[in-house]
Amino acid sequence: MLSERRLDALREIGNIGSGHAASALSDLLQRRIDMSVPKVWMIPFEQIAEVAGGLEESQAFIYLHVDGEISGKAVFLFSIPSAHALVKELFHTDQELDLFDELPQSALKEVGNILVSSFLVALSQLSGIEMQCSIPVMAVDMAGAVLGAILLEEGEIEDHVLFIDTELFGFPAIEGKFVFLPQQGALEKLLGALGV
Amino acid sequence: MSTIITVGMADVQTGQGEDILMTPGLGSCIGICVFDAVKKAGGMAHIMLPAASGHSEANPAKYADTGLSLLIEQILALGAIKSRLKAKIAGGAQMFAFANRPNALRIGDRNAEAVRKELKKMGIPLLVDDTGGSFGRTIYFSVSTGNLRVRTINHGEKVI
Repeated sequence: MLSERRLDALREIGNIGSGHAASALSDLLQRRIDMSVPKVWMIPFEQIAEVAGGLEESQAFIYLHVDGEISGKAVFLFSIPSAHALVKELFHTDQELDLFDELPQSALKEVGNILVSSFLVALSQLSGIEMQCSIPVMAVDMAGAVLGAILLEEGEIEDHVLFIDTELFGFPAIEGKFVFLPQQGALEKLLGALGV
Repeated sequence: MSTIITVGMADVQTGQGEDILMTPGLGSCIGICVFDAVKKAGGMAHIMLPAASGHSEANPAKYADTGLSLLIEQILALGAIKSRLKAKIAGGAQMFAFANRPNALRIGDRNAEAVRKELKKMGIPLLVDDTGGSFGRTIYFSVSTGNLRVRTINHGEKVI
């Protein structure tokens, strides 16, 4: 288990990284975006969907791999109304676009790309560790289905999953979450680089 | 009165009579439903990965092979007869397609293959195979009729 000191360091990493991501989103939308203090969670994998409000809860998920000296997974999730609001603002339209269509999806993926890149730049500056993110992929579906698939990708799963979870808000109508899951070994390297 | 019994991730549950077994949000995981229509008894396993081999694992319900064995054992304990057992499966989706990592991510397919193989090994006929695609499924299974209701977000709802 992680010591309180290491948990604090992870919260701080989350804070700085997510702060960068939130300000990138704010720049993109030209409006104020607030964020919560990040939570660092260590939970049994069976409970992972609770992060997104339950196994069957439908959300828009944008998912990127983080690779480089350390690896991990970054996921943005937005409620369906928030995803609609984001798309409307990005396209400067009042029209409701279908979230399953290619155009809104590519716009949301680009948002994910920008946000995760900002998060990683902050992390790299802080730790001196180089990281890059993959091309984003997206799904609008049940939380259990999406988060389960993300966790199981490598064909194995740890009993407990550690992640950093930050809520993002923009008034009106935007509520999202940024979740970062460091892969095994990544945590040691990251905390080591910070001298914790 | 039918009771709805929820089956969690890496979980096995059984029911009798009018009971309905439900598991929400299957992605690459598979819901294995097995029932004896005469005894009106059955069960569901929500498995996550193909095989337990190589994993020193406390929870057998996580894997297709050990999960199915556990499921059958529990259904037989309700008085079901092995030769009357029939199966229906759903899930095994490929939620994402990463262009640059084509093989590493096909857990859904690998799960479905493993489940089919294990059912065959045990001699349990597979009546319905609703696997694949790139979308999540919530399933409801009636142990008395064997009806399987599959609900999705953008691909409709059906009873099979």
